[in-house]
Amino acid sequence: MKLLEIGIGKTAETLGAWMLGLLWLLPVVFAFWSAFHPAEYSTNFELFAPLTTDNFVRAWSYAPFPRYLLNTFILVTLILAAQFVLCTLAAYGFARFEFFGKNVIFALVLLQLMIMPEILLVENYRTISKMGLLDTIPAIGLPYMASAFGIFLLRQSFKTIPKELVEAAQVEGVSAVGILWKVYVPLSRSTYIAYGLVSVSYHWNNFLWPLVITSSVNSRPLTVGLAIFGAPESGVDWSIITAATVMTMAPLLLAFILFQRQFVQSFMHSGIK
Amino acid sequence: MSKIILNDVCKSWGKIEALNNINFECENGELLVLLGPSGCGKSTTLRLIAGLETLTSGTVEIGDRDVSNLPPVKRNISMVFQNYALFPHLNVGENILFGLKARKVPKNEQKKRLENAATLLGLADFIDRKPAQLSGGQRQRIALGRAIVAQVSVCLMDEPLSNLDAKLRQEMRQEIRSLQQRLKMTMIYVTHDQVEAMTIADKIILMKEGCIEQHGTPEDLYDRPATAFTGSFIGNPPMNILTPDDLILDGLPSFPTPLAGSTIRYLLGIRPENIEISGESGIEGLVVAIEYLGADTLIVCRSGEQLITLTVKGKTGVSVGDHLRLNWKPEHIHLFNGEDGRRIEGLAGGLIS
Repeated sequence: MKLLEIGIGKTAETLGAWMLGLLWLLPVVFAFWSAFHPAEYSTNFELFAPLTTDNFVRAWSYAPFPRYLLNTFILVTLILAAQFVLCTLAAYGFARFEFFGKNVIFALVLLQLMIMPEILLVENYRTISKMGLLDTIPAIGLPYMASAFGIFLLRQSFKTIPKELVEAAQVEGVSAVGILWKVYVPLSRSTYIAYGLVSVSYHWNNFLWPLVITSSVNSRPLTVGLAIFGAPESGVDWSIITAATVMTMAPLLLAFILFQRQFVQSFMHSGIK
Repeated sequence: MSKIILNDVCKSWGKIEALNNINFECENGELLVLLGPSGCGKSTTLRLIAGLETLTSGTVEIGDRDVSNLPPVKRNISMVFQNYALFPHLNVGENILFGLKARKVPKNEQKKRLENAATLLGLADFIDRKPAQLSGGQRQRIALGRAIVAQVSVCLMDEPLSNLDAKLRQEMRQEIRSLQQRLKMTMIYVTHDQVEAMTIADKIILMKEGCIEQHGTPEDLYDRPATAFTGSFIGNPPMNILTPDDLILDGLPSFPTPLAGSTIRYLLGIRPENIEISGESGIEGLVVAIEYLGADTLIVCRSGEQLITLTVKGKTGVSVGDHLRLNWKPEHIHLFNGEDGRRIEGLAGGLIS
């Protein structure tokens, strides 16, 4: 009886997982279907419809996608680099040193996790505008660089590092910064990888803030470029829009498929699920 | 050269007093063991010497230099940790050389020292492996290697063998002892295992609740325990500490009531190996447990309310439930003050004879 129950539970679980998987996959499949077929097949299905890469060529030339791609690439790299530096230093402070008001400050950092970035849209715009950074790539990244999530994650990871390793380094005369660099950072590698993935995919896909803050080709990331490209005013050509969408998501998708195993492992190691 | 002296060392965390007036000297080239049950302050003492904790009061001198306020690196020491403190992302060679790299020792000197240490410890074939791929004993050797390549004369060890199995522990402690003698290191070694302490120490300091119970050679601690606690801690099985009641006093005709007429309470210590089973006279005991250890057999007897453990060579014909008569020679009796547990000097011999 018990065994049967487990069997039913397991089946339901698997079924649910498949349903969710298919639901997620559906738009992706449609995007690929439509992108690789002529416009007339984009809304009707015919198994042996002729394949074409024409849509990609047209999308590529209709809008400055190379520039958007470059912008997005610079953006995610910049954000990730700044986040690594800032979060590492902050997390090190919280994890290892005692200072006045430490817990209060850490609580404030955590509080930041509960604020949706969209709420601050206007205020952030005003700040960026005062700084004279409107319509630049750093302006897109700036609000996200001191990431509370990153600080929290790295602090947790740093806290699990055995005290003995730190003491062993201390006995050998390694400085506080040296200990961070030679002990804490290498031992938290999986957390860095996991956090890096979350950060890159989030900012690769981020839309609202970049849309608000950018106004020219020189700073627009892929997502915004794609939206403008697909806006009704420019006429809805599904094949070209989906071709552009596939181009936008292809780098991430490819990376995920290639490094799937490592991704999952590093998430398991770092305890984010 | 590298004598270690502690003067009136105290350490407390808030109101909790971990160490209370610790004074001792460790001579150059000596292996001193800090022994005691967990929570007695032995590790804290070691960490104070290393500089990983700050003194509340008192001074620490290493090699005629007051190092009380110096950071660990300036104290010229090496340290081996309980869990070896190996960096999982570095291979064996890099782990051993970690300190030398931090101290910016020239590359060719590093290589020379690594080769020496690796050969000395039998790690030469594993230099490129990661610690996770090695056994407990090999990891322990890496930790030792790190202490050796530092080429400093003071080495501090914090329960280095407690993660190893019994057989390996025995091998490693001999290895540590011979290394210490070959390299003429001054070593302070923390352990809770009295067998380990007895076998490798030049001197032992037995600690209890933040105080030194006794400081002496292993023989001192075994033959003339300064307190009842020392007696019951050193030796395997430990000394019997008995409250002399009528059953015991009456059962020992060769034991005239000592301190007759005196009002102080006292305790009687007798080592299990010094108790004999005699045919006719002695304390009556009921056998409650027998442990056969191969070379010896442990017999636990009950006399009144008290348990008395004795060891006899080889196998015995005794079985649980038997009545035995136990006897011991006056010179094997240790007397302790019942109030503070201190040894009562000379009293035993003097009064009994």
